[in-house]
Amino acid sequence: MSYLSTTDFTEDEAFVDRFQRTMKGDLDLSWLDEPRERVGCRPENPRRGLTFRDLDVGGYGFSEMPEVIRKNRSFAPRGAALADGLPDLQADVNRKSEVWAYNVEGYYEEAMTRQWNATTDIPWADLQAHELPEDIGKAYAQLLTFLTEVEMIATDVPAKWLGRLNADFFEVKNFIATQAMDEARHAEIFRKRALSTGWGLMRASAHNEFNLKFLRDADSFAEASLTLHLQAEGMVLTLFRFSEYISPTEGDKKLFRLVMQDEARHVGYGMQHLKWVLDHYPERREAIHRHLDEAENFVFGAVYATEVLEPFIILAGKGLKKENVAEGIRITMAFNLKQTDEYFERLAKCGLPERRDRSRLWKATEMARQSMASAA
Amino acid sequence: MPPSFPSVEFFEALRREMREERERFSRLGFFDTTFGVRVLDAGDRPAEFVLTFEVFDCVAVEDRRSARPRDFVLEGPLAAWRAMLDNIHALGAADTAHSVNTLTHFGESLRVCYDDPDGHDKLYRFAESIQEFFDLASRVDFTYPDGSRPPARHTPLERSAP
Repeated sequence: MSYLSTTDFTEDEAFVDRFQRTMKGDLDLSWLDEPRERVGCRPENPRRGLTFRDLDVGGYGFSEMPEVIRKNRSFAPRGAALADGLPDLQADVNRKSEVWAYNVEGYYEEAMTRQWNATTDIPWADLQAHELPEDIGKAYAQLLTFLTEVEMIATDVPAKWLGRLNADFFEVKNFIATQAMDEARHAEIFRKRALSTGWGLMRASAHNEFNLKFLRDADSFAEASLTLHLQAEGMVLTLFRFSEYISPTEGDKKLFRLVMQDEARHVGYGMQHLKWVLDHYPERREAIHRHLDEAENFVFGAVYATEVLEPFIILAGKGLKKENVAEGIRITMAFNLKQTDEYFERLAKCGLPERRDRSRLWKATEMARQSMASAA
Repeated sequence: MPPSFPSVEFFEALRREMREERERFSRLGFFDTTFGVRVLDAGDRPAEFVLTFEVFDCVAVEDRRSARPRDFVLEGPLAAWRAMLDNIHALGAADTAHSVNTLTHFGESLRVCYDDPDGHDKLYRFAESIQEFFDLASRVDFTYPDGSRPPARHTPLERSAP
């Protein structure tokens, strides 16, 4: 117990006296006279229901929130009267541009309505009926092991930051709470699918985990978001689409379509957050580049880790025979190029078109592209 | 007379089927996007349709003259669209080789055209809703420009868990 009260309430005469008077009917009622901004929020679109956007009014809203939150350091919900003596919770993040994203309130509402259930929304019984050949089954189980590892850290990162954001960033906190739930569900579904293949979990990947540790240990929420939402989840989104493409059964296709929906929403937040940062805090541009320099080194190691690359080759080529492996390499290379292209495309759209010129990852991708073209 | 693919009438028929399945689409969640469907060789020039989804519904089906900005456009030759729709009609839902994501992933069959990666990502944010929308074609009686029809349904394929 590290936080102790500065008051022993049972011994505090004024507190006990007030309590006793209240219980005898002598109510204080001073809170009734607190001057408040009265609002009556209504759904703009009744079919959609009452959304956070409908609550964006006056001091309760987010549009008029200042860049730096100096007044509220407590749990007081934005817009509530701040009583004297509220504790300073020492939030780590008090600057709006560190967390905010265009349409964050929309991403939250979308997340809430698009939740699904890993236990009941997948035709597990149908999946049991499909026995996979040993090489495909083991490769798939290895891919699922890697994805479970990834999703566990993707759960930890938003959860780690949730309580460290100023309470005024209500919509962001709620959004990253949905993200933590989404990622926990992804870890759940990949574990369940791995254990239902008949092969179980295969081998954890050191290279992948170096990258995951880098994501977890980011110095700021903005850095964590840049590498988690935009870089890692952007690459994982392309990976989920590729996994849907190579999935052996309809049930697996559905599984990947469901996880890709969540992942695309997180990437959407990441993109809109980076746009917000560059629009409102442009002096961070160089810090963003420096963080990406290191992040791209880690991601290069993770994407080409043996435990990641080889199952992809086997699944894409549909087997371990020489001709299958050659076809698998061709398809996997095309996937890797697509993955990197989409990452740089997103950065450019957010306002970092110069990233390609600076990035070693882009240079390596260009070399791979040329080598593929000359081999064709 | 059954609608022909591609035509506004065909997509209006899908829209009606979607309305019949309101509860199912509500369970899938908010579905907010406008996208195009382009059939490259359906006549003298490519046929293009613009589908707008809002909340849980398809709220507009328009032809190429629509001024609405598109998040992305699904584009391909009639043969590729036909392969997808024939498969859906025969099985009740797309199989592993004919889901929208599979057909568009490397642009080998259908292609996703977009200017804004954020718009492109909506294809994936609403992937299951989009797939289920196209799967409704299994319930529509329609013809192709040459007068032929998709194959009759022969094997039930359940997309959702019971």
